[in-house]
Amino acid sequence: MVPVFLAQWMKEKRSPYIVLIFCVLSIVLSLLFGSSTGMQIKIDAFPGEGLTEVEAKQWVDRLNEKGSFDFTLRSEEKALADVKQGRSDMAVKLLKDDYRVISIMEGGNANLVQQHLQVIYTEELKIRAVAQHSNDAVQFRESLKVYLEQPPLTLQSSKPTGEELQSYNMRLQLLFGFTLFLVMFTIGFKVNAVTAEKVSGIWNRVILSPVTKTEMYLGHLTYSTLIGIIQIAIIFAIYKYVLGYDLGVNFLFLSTISVLYILSIVAMSMLFTGMFRTPEQFRAFFSSVVPIMPPLSGVYMPPGTITSEIMLFISELFPIKHAMDALIGVSMYQLGWEDIYLPLAKLLLMTVIFFGVGINLVERRNA
Amino acid sequence: MLETVELSKSFKGKTVVDNVNLYLERGESIGLLGPNGAGKSTTISMISSLLVPTNGDVRLHGKSIVKNPQEIRKVLGVVPQDIALYEELSAYENLVFFGRIYSLPKSMLEHKIQEVLEIVGLRDRQKELIKTYSGGMKRRINIAAALLHDPQIVIMDEPTVGIDPQSRNHILETVKLLNREKGTTVLYTSHYMEEVEQLCNRMYIMDHGKVIASGTKEELGRILSSEDTILLQLDGYNEVVIAGIRSIDSVRHVEETVQGLKLIVTKQSRVLSAIVQCTERHGVQINNMHVQTPSLEDVFLHLTGRTLRD
Repeated sequence: MVPVFLAQWMKEKRSPYIVLIFCVLSIVLSLLFGSSTGMQIKIDAFPGEGLTEVEAKQWVDRLNEKGSFDFTLRSEEKALADVKQGRSDMAVKLLKDDYRVISIMEGGNANLVQQHLQVIYTEELKIRAVAQHSNDAVQFRESLKVYLEQPPLTLQSSKPTGEELQSYNMRLQLLFGFTLFLVMFTIGFKVNAVTAEKVSGIWNRVILSPVTKTEMYLGHLTYSTLIGIIQIAIIFAIYKYVLGYDLGVNFLFLSTISVLYILSIVAMSMLFTGMFRTPEQFRAFFSSVVPIMPPLSGVYMPPGTITSEIMLFISELFPIKHAMDALIGVSMYQLGWEDIYLPLAKLLLMTVIFFGVGINLVERRNA
Repeated sequence: MLETVELSKSFKGKTVVDNVNLYLERGESIGLLGPNGAGKSTTISMISSLLVPTNGDVRLHGKSIVKNPQEIRKVLGVVPQDIALYEELSAYENLVFFGRIYSLPKSMLEHKIQEVLEIVGLRDRQKELIKTYSGGMKRRINIAAALLHDPQIVIMDEPTVGIDPQSRNHILETVKLLNREKGTTVLYTSHYMEEVEQLCNRMYIMDHGKVIASGTKEELGRILSSEDTILLQLDGYNEVVIAGIRSIDSVRHVEETVQGLKLIVTKQSRVLSAIVQCTERHGVQINNMHVQTPSLEDVFLHLTGRTLRD
């Protein structure tokens, strides 16, 4: 087993680029997509009939108060031209006590903006109506502001355990998602060495030595597992210690879930190895099928986005789904072992089945 | 030392090796000859325990190795037809790997690597990557990898296919050195008759999965002792001329070669005049006629009706 393992390591030393490229890609992609998930939606606004620049500016300030949208005051021509030419989704025409949303299509962000405008306009118009009945409108507004800052009643939300509610960390989900996704490629290409050695004749040559077939499989599979663990460890270590990011999970959870996931991917790659005769066929299949797994498993989307029963069923067959469930569970919902034993058991079961069928297929092909 | 008994192998109902009996004595160099598809590689795969025979047995010192292949694996070095090396590693690193799989102790490994590199003449190129080597150099390292553990028997499966003359000569010299100076038993398969004639004490000729002849060079030559080979160069000929020559009683076989027509004829005085009369009758002029003792290539042609390279 050791010579086979060392031979793979010697090859790796000569060409470590795959592991390094996938490490960098994991970090870059999760940073890139993670940062875009919290971004404000930018919307152009322009004053309509009967609204002065100053009044329009007051409406824009009011609309930007909550921080979830970024309204910018522009000229009508420029705002409408951008919508027409597809450079922006929509523009908002501000009126004295009303508004118009100008958009080329319905749905998506337009609904969110419409909802936001409705809330702010209703609130502001109510305040203005009340202010008309006061003697000093400016003084009324100041009093209202102070009053709202120190309300008589406050509402606090918490978890059933009494802990503070945390907002969902999409960046962390993407970090886990891209890391687990890209490590599949590294492992797949390493396990593919079995097929490559069979085609080149090295496999048969080693069989004729005192090294047994079991030792050869162990050498290859141990190496692929270890290289997968190293890749994941490098990415998480860079995130935690270099970028100072809180992974929200302790080392024992992280390493157990990662190792089980990697074992299941090694086994899945072995299954694919048994299905193909040449390394080229394996690569073509692997590169086509693996990228489908994360989107079907909802890895890039907030939880609950996928509702199709069929997609949910298919995703159950992919190890990445169960590894993500376990990682998100422990990092974001502070679940314990008793809560994540099911996804871990599924990973273990997949490992056993994939290995069994895969090695059987490889050996049948040789018989 | 090593023998096969009624060895047969079938794939999906098709018999590719059929009742092959052969033996190797210690220190012998045996040639296994045959055209592509004759069953040579399948035979040596069974001898080396890579394939399980459908029928028959392989015996090492009288003991079957079919159920206990570890015995032969200890004493065997196999040079496969393919270049079974890691292309992305250097020659030295490849040899380290093959030394390790035979559990050579670290102290001995370095010495053995340098020794086999010396034998194949690539000691000064050992640090270069295999993928940068020429086809001939790769084949030489392919051989070196099989010699690291000092095997008693070396099986070489067409080790000179598709390489330059310099590497070919080097490989042939290596085989001679192994057999004559180190006493290694060699089973050498090839479809180059001249290589087998040069290297081997005895040879087996295979065709369509069967051994069709065996013996020393002299014994095989005697198969055609009552025949001569005539090389006939004409100023032009066609199928009618060939048919005319073929119809002469003493002519056993006619084959077109790049040098002209090659005829295998029964030894008798009147055959030459019959050939001359036939060509005159067809209006064809003889430019050259050469009568020679049949070679082993001719023996093969006689036995199978085709050349080794067909």
